[in-house]
Amino acid sequence: MKKIYSSLPLVFFFILVIFFFRQLILKEDPSELPSVLIDKSLPIIKLEKLAEYKLFNRENLLMLKEPSLINVWSSWCAPCKVEHEFLLAMSAKYNIKIFGINYKDDKKDAMKVLKLSGNPFYAIGRDEDGIQSINLGVYGVPETFVIDANGNIRYRHVGPILEYDMKNTILPILNSIK
Amino acid sequence: MKFIILTVFFIFSSITLTHSQVSYKADNIEAYELYEELRCLVCQNQSLLDSDAPLALDLKKLVLDKLEEGKSKEEIKLFLVERYGEFILLKPTFTIKNILLWVGPLIFVIFGFFTTFIFLRKNPLIKEENVNLTNIEKDKLKKIIDRELKE
Repeated sequence: MKKIYSSLPLVFFFILVIFFFRQLILKEDPSELPSVLIDKSLPIIKLEKLAEYKLFNRENLLMLKEPSLINVWSSWCAPCKVEHEFLLAMSAKYNIKIFGINYKDDKKDAMKVLKLSGNPFYAIGRDEDGIQSINLGVYGVPETFVIDANGNIRYRHVGPILEYDMKNTILPILNSIK
Repeated sequence: MKFIILTVFFIFSSITLTHSQVSYKADNIEAYELYEELRCLVCQNQSLLDSDAPLALDLKKLVLDKLEEGKSKEEIKLFLVERYGEFILLKPTFTIKNILLWVGPLIFVIFGFFTTFIFLRKNPLIKEENVNLTNIEKDKLKKIIDRELKE
């Protein structure tokens, strides 16, 4: 009986070790929130037109009848610049339609980015005060949503899409729901 | 010299206080309570009330707008939970899923009392039969106590 009690601290220690080890191995960012909208229908978002670029709304996405991406971006967001080339690659090389939500951005700055670095977006809508993105559960830029042919959200990627993310998560998910 | 250094520090410390940001003031109690109960999703251990992150300001504005529309506190919370998940509530709901979170500390306290009890009971120093003193020891003890009291 006494032995059991004296070994309790050790048992607790190993339980802690298991928890820490799990976090270490999974390499999950604990500050990253899981989206509650997964497998739910895309919410209604009312966006504004950005200059000559094509605007979109929820219905446009539903009418596509093919998987697509929604990318929330901004000209002032540095990680967005990093993922820009991969967005371009996905739209040009893999023929994926990407819908851009321009989050709390200046019109001129946004257009400058598109003119200088290329436009990966099939259509763009402006969310000037950031309220529309709240409907999507956005809590930082960039964020990318994978939408299936029926207009349901299937995956959310928080942070920039790097080559690894594109090849190992985004593209496989898009292929699997085709 | 010390005085000068301290003065300089105090002057600069006040600068951060005067540097205020756009804020959506909670004029009514409902808004204030909601600010306190909702988590800022950028600085995740702060409430909306404590946070000046851009998203927190947007959420505060949204809360004010919704209150103005006549939405109740619960409706606003539900609206945000539907979009951001229960994580946005600083105080977790009392549901089966969260039961360990609520009852966990209590279990630990009970466990603590239990182990303390067992430990104390097993400790021979505390056992009563060991406290019985011989007459010589009692005299000794009395002398020590008397001496202490005199001093």
